[in-house]
Formats: sequence, C-alpha cells, structure tokens
Amino acid sequence: MNNVYTYSRFIAWVKVILPLAALALLSTLFLFSRGSGTGGAIPFSEREIEERAQTPRVTRPNFTGVTGNGTALSVQAETATPDPEDAGRLAAEGLQASIDTPGGTRFEIVSDSGQMNNADQMFSLSGDVRIESSEGMQMSTSEIETALDGSILTAPGAVSVTGRFGSFDADSMLLELAEPDSNTYVLVFKGGVKLVYTPVN
Amino acid sequence: AFGQAQVAFGGLQHDASLPVEVTADQLQVNQEDGSAVFQGNVVIGQGSMRLSAGRVRVEYQTGANTTGEISRLHATNGVVLTNGAEAAEATSAIYTIGSGQIVMQGGVILTQGDNALGANQMTVNLGTGQAELSGRVHTILQTGGN
Repeated sequence: MNNVYTYSRFIAWVKVILPLAALALLSTLFLFSRGSGTGGAIPFSEREIEERAQTPRVTRPNFTGVTGNGTALSVQAETATPDPEDAGRLAAEGLQASIDTPGGTRFEIVSDSGQMNNADQMFSLSGDVRIESSEGMQMSTSEIETALDGSILTAPGAVSVTGRFGSFDADSMLLELAEPDSNTYVLVFKGGVKLVYTPVN
Repeated sequence: AFGQAQVAFGGLQHDASLPVEVTADQLQVNQEDGSAVFQGNVVIGQGSMRLSAGRVRVEYQTGANTTGEISRLHATNGVVLTNGAEAAEATSAIYTIGSGQIVMQGGVILTQGDNALGANQMTVNLGTGQAELSGRVHTILQTGGN
C-alpha cells in the first residue's frame, strides 16, 4: 500500500530537485566565466612614450594612390616624422614602395629612408635603394625621386642593374612614359652604359 | 662585278662564346615587351671584334623553352665592323650571338690593307674567319698616291 505514497513522494521530490539542478547547471554558464582578461599590455615602453611625446611620429604609415594614367603607387614605412618647420615635408624610415603600371609591370622599391614633399608632389628615397621589376630587372642606386603623379621616376646617381640580358652600370636612370599619353613605361639609362653579357649556348 | 666572293676576314680564331660587351650613351628598355635599344655611339665588343653603330636593338630568343636570352643584336645608323686589321662598313648589321655570324647589309665596303671590296651584303663567320660578299660585288681601286 505504502508504495503508492513512496512513488508520489518520489515524484514530488523529483519535481523539486530536477529544476534546482537545471538552475544550478544553467548558472554555471554565467558564474564561472573564463579567467578574467588580463588586458593587453600597452605595446610601447616608457622610454618610447617620452620620445613619442617630444617628436610626434606615425608608426607604420602607408600611402596609396592611383595616378592619372592608372599607375598604382603604394608606399609603406616603419616610421614617418613630420618636419617641424614645414608641415608639407615628411621624413620616413625603412621604406617599401610598389608601383604597378597599367601595362602590368610591377616595381618593388625598398630603401633605408625617404622624404615626402607635398608642396611639389615629389617623394625621394635614399640610402641603399633597391628596385626590382617584374620583368626580372634588379637595380640598386643611392637615391630615387618619384613624382607622386607617377609620371616620372628618376635616379640621379649611378645605377647598377642586373637583368636578363646581363648586368650593366649607368650614370643615371629615368622611368617615364614612352609617349606622354601612352601607358607603356620606358626605362632609360643615360651616360656611360656598359653592359657585359656572356652568351649561353 | 661578280656574284659572290669568298674573302678571309680577320683570320685569327674568334671565340663566339666570349662575353659580349656593349657600351653606349643611352639604353632604353621598354617595360612592356622588354625590348632594349642602345643609342649614341654604341660599340659591341667581343674578343678582338668591334662593331660600332649609332643604334643597336636587342632581340631576344622567343619560343618555348628560352629563358629570354639575347639572340641577336640589330645594329643600324652607320655600322662599322673591325676585326684585327680589316674593317667593313654598311648601313645595317645583324649579329647572331653565340653563332659568331654577322650579316651586314646595304652598301658594304670591306677594306683590307689598301684594297677594298664593295657589295650589297656581306656575311661574316667570325669562327672560321671567312666572309662572303654577295650582290654586285666589285673591287674599289685606291687611285692616287704612288
């Protein structure tokens, strides 16, 4: 007889215990959150913060633009420091630039430092400048000036080049449009061009 | 005049695999098709051979497995070829690299010592030191002087 009570008593207990268990289980979802975040350390050391306060500087700036005839120019640098006297000038360290001509040739340029001059829209790179073109030409020189409208890139100083047709030196180099309105670029090496090529046969 | 003449040209042994040196005032490389043109007193030198011209266009090997090596140098604007004592001039010349063969065309004048031969075309094989003149070959006699 009494098992009738025990069963209903069992049910009565279960009706209380099970929801409580469910509630406990559910609350663990919120109460035991993952370890509280330690908060990322600020990526600057004390010294850098003081230094940053004195000279305002941009870290890892990049500049991209497309010129009139569709040449894409993009420049990245480690740091860029505006010139205190002239806001239009910017000095940059550790530069990488790439020029994509509409014809499909790409120039990768790397240099130690660079100067951006907004006034006359010129950008100069100096200090161990290396250029690599997708046509397989590697050029190294000491300084390069690029017009921001992409029409001209000149290396006033001596250039040494290795290409598929051998290696040579020249007194200066100029990358310009073959004709003013065309979009094919021509690399012109001027002065004392001396190419040495060993035939392969 | 007679049709063809075989002439020795720079008899000394010429090695066509020597490095080729090209000097010029200016070199222009077109970035789209990679063609290169030397301009302004261009001198192509290999061993004792010198080919000077106003303008030299570089032609590359086309075709499947070529790595874009230079195949020919196409010289124009007053070409002068010298190899040792002899000299030859013409309006244009094509030097096929590696094979040591130079084809000169247009008013070719070959001077050897004091006699000279003229022709429309001259094919020089630097390896064998032989030159073949063809097309209205004629001898040019140096008059004057005793």
